Amino acid sequence: MTIAVNGRVDTVTAPELEAGLKFGDATCVVLDLANVPYMSSAGLRLLLTAHKTMLAKGGELQIANVQSAVKEVFDITGFSDIFNLA
Amino acid sequence: MTARRSLDLKIALSVLVAFVLSLAFSWFVHYRLAERDVYALIDRTFMNVESEIIDCVNERLVIQCMAVRELLDEGYPDDTASLQALARSRNITEISVADSNGDIIRSSDPEYLAGPGKPAFNFKTAGGRAEDMMCLVDGQETEFCQPFRSNTANGAWRKFVGVWKPSGGFVEIGCDGPSLRALSRASIVDLFRNWRVGGTGGIVVTTASGLILTDYDEPNREGSQWIEPDNTFFWKRKDVESFPTYVMIPKKSAAVQRDVLVGATATLNGLALVFVAILVGIVISSFVRQQIHAQAAKDLKMAKDIQLSALPNVFPPFPEVQNFSIWAAMDTAKEVGGDFYDFYFTGRDRVLFLVADVSGKGVPAAMFMMRAKTLIKSAAQTGKSIVQVFDEVNDALCEGNTSNTFVTVWAGELNINTGHVIYVNAGHNFPIVKHGGKCEFLKSRPSLVLGAMEGCKYRVGELQMEPGDAIYLYTDGITEQTNAAGELYGDARLLNLVSGSKEREGKLLESVLADVRRHAADAEQADDCTQLVLRYRGAPNVFTREYAPTTEGIAAAVDDLAAALETVPDADKARLMVAADEIFANIMRYSGATSWSLTVERAHCPDGVRLIISDDGKPFDPLDVRDPDTTLRAEERDVGGLGIFIVKKTMSPVIYKRQNGKNILTMGKDYGN
Repeated sequence: MTIAVNGRVDTVTAPELEAGLKFGDATCVVLDLANVPYMSSAGLRLLLTAHKTMLAKGGELQIANVQSAVKEVFDITGFSDIFNLA
Repeated sequence: MTARRSLDLKIALSVLVAFVLSLAFSWFVHYRLAERDVYALIDRTFMNVESEIIDCVNERLVIQCMAVRELLDEGYPDDTASLQALARSRNITEISVADSNGDIIRSSDPEYLAGPGKPAFNFKTAGGRAEDMMCLVDGQETEFCQPFRSNTANGAWRKFVGVWKPSGGFVEIGCDGPSLRALSRASIVDLFRNWRVGGTGGIVVTTASGLILTDYDEPNREGSQWIEPDNTFFWKRKDVESFPTYVMIPKKSAAVQRDVLVGATATLNGLALVFVAILVGIVISSFVRQQIHAQAAKDLKMAKDIQLSALPNVFPPFPEVQNFSIWAAMDTAKEVGGDFYDFYFTGRDRVLFLVADVSGKGVPAAMFMMRAKTLIKSAAQTGKSIVQVFDEVNDALCEGNTSNTFVTVWAGELNINTGHVIYVNAGHNFPIVKHGGKCEFLKSRPSLVLGAMEGCKYRVGELQMEPGDAIYLYTDGITEQTNAAGELYGDARLLNLVSGSKEREGKLLESVLADVRRHAADAEQADDCTQLVLRYRGAPNVFTREYAPTTEGIAAAVDDLAAALETVPDADKARLMVAADEIFANIMRYSGATSWSLTVERAHCPDGVRLIISDDGKPFDPLDVRDPDTTLRAEERDVGGLGIFIVKKTMSPVIYKRQNGKNILTMGKDYGN
């Protein structure tokens, strides 16, 4: 299952994203971040929660196509290791 | 007298005393040694003398004894009276004849003969050493001599000599002192006539009453009365076979030997002591010199520390201010020089910056430097104009200035919003100004240096800086640095380097210094090298607005911020948007603020952004928050603290202040060049 996210993810837009992160029974979900120019810790919080939920169900959450600004934030916070971004 | 002189004198005196003491000691020791040697010689001589005298005397008496025996054999009457007469005639004291049993059968002394109720004197049983004579009977000896000694029979001193009689028994004669001497004297005299002892000493033999029989010395005193020698002689006396015998050696000869030895020892001692003294002198003076150097080095270090610690050394010094950037550096020479730089705000939008060079070196220059720096700053920060500052400080420095120390100063005051600079050049090098991309020296008619003459008038110059312009100040330590060939670094080379440089401030200063060092090559850095560069960026574009601590408030702020950052490159823009969002979120969630504000300052030349976010909530310093552990696995991760962490990692500077009941956070990025 692939979900594309459009636009920035910050305090204002996080609730919107949260609503969109409904995976149903899917065990492997890929979030495509190609259209996300930047993401603040509000976004990271959502991703981590979703990831933990998936792990508990025996599935996993994958992240794809991160832009450089988002990648930088992932690197600083150690999220690159959590989501196996190279 | 200088300390060195006095020290030398002390060393010389000690050497002299040591020498004299060692001389005395050695003289004493050698005297004793010489004395001991002489007495040893005397004792050895006596051993010889004794045996010679004894042999001589024995020989004389044996001859007499044999003569007596011959006479008796030829029929001379052997009755007592005849023997007495015979004895007298031969200068013998007694004559006895013994048989083979040892009994005396004839004698000049009737006491020895057998008489009514009295046996004859028997050699075997008489006791004392009489028994020794019996060797003549056994035929062991044909003649036997006993030493001159006290006779057991009657206590008189006698010498007995016996010769055997082939027919049995022996003839014995006895002599007392006088007869002994009478019989032997001629032989004794012959014996000692030329006997020298130790080269200059000799032997004297006298009679019992002290008449000299033999004398070795000149003039010859034979026959005169013996007088004990005075203390110009080493001597000893022994009575040998009744002859008082003296072995004597003049002290002079021993003295000579001793004196030679002492002289040799003294010379060696003297040489050794002088050598040691010189060595000690060298060691002490080098030690003292070392101490002086160490002290001087300590003083130097202290002066240097004074110098360096007084100058502002945090760069950049005003990170939240974007109107200008400033950098300065001082590289000290080995000797303390007295250069300094300084900069500070003299008003809300005025900053004073200067470079100065104190004349002279060492601790006095360092102290003058401290004074000048402090005076200028105090005067400048009371709102006085730059000319007033110079007039005041000059008068203050002239006061009590007996060493005629002065200081050259180039000081400018910049209005950070307009770019207008007012400056005074008090005898200092012309700075380099970069204007519109071109560099040239800012030439002005210099006023007099500070501290030289009271009541001096200071001229003011003006300069207008545009965003992107820069001004570079320096001291003559840079331009006047010589290389081994004596060539100066020079103004031209400095201008060339500064013009061509595209580096940021700190790097530029390093490059200049490196180039100066390259020029100097092996020559030493002669003077302090001080530099200051100020780059004017102009007043930033400012946008400010207040918001409510709600999601709507944040949304509005985010839109405004995006607009204000429109021309910022995407990467930095993204960072700024994320950092701002983190702070906005914290304010909304945790601060309890009733309102908050965002200020955006856009600066140029080089480009930079400052976000100043202020809220009236409870005191909160984001820099106090602990960093999260980013190495934990997903299951262990927490979302708390991430926002602030991101801000700290992406923004530079990040400055927090609490002022007037408000949290004020300034953060930003410089991204232009």
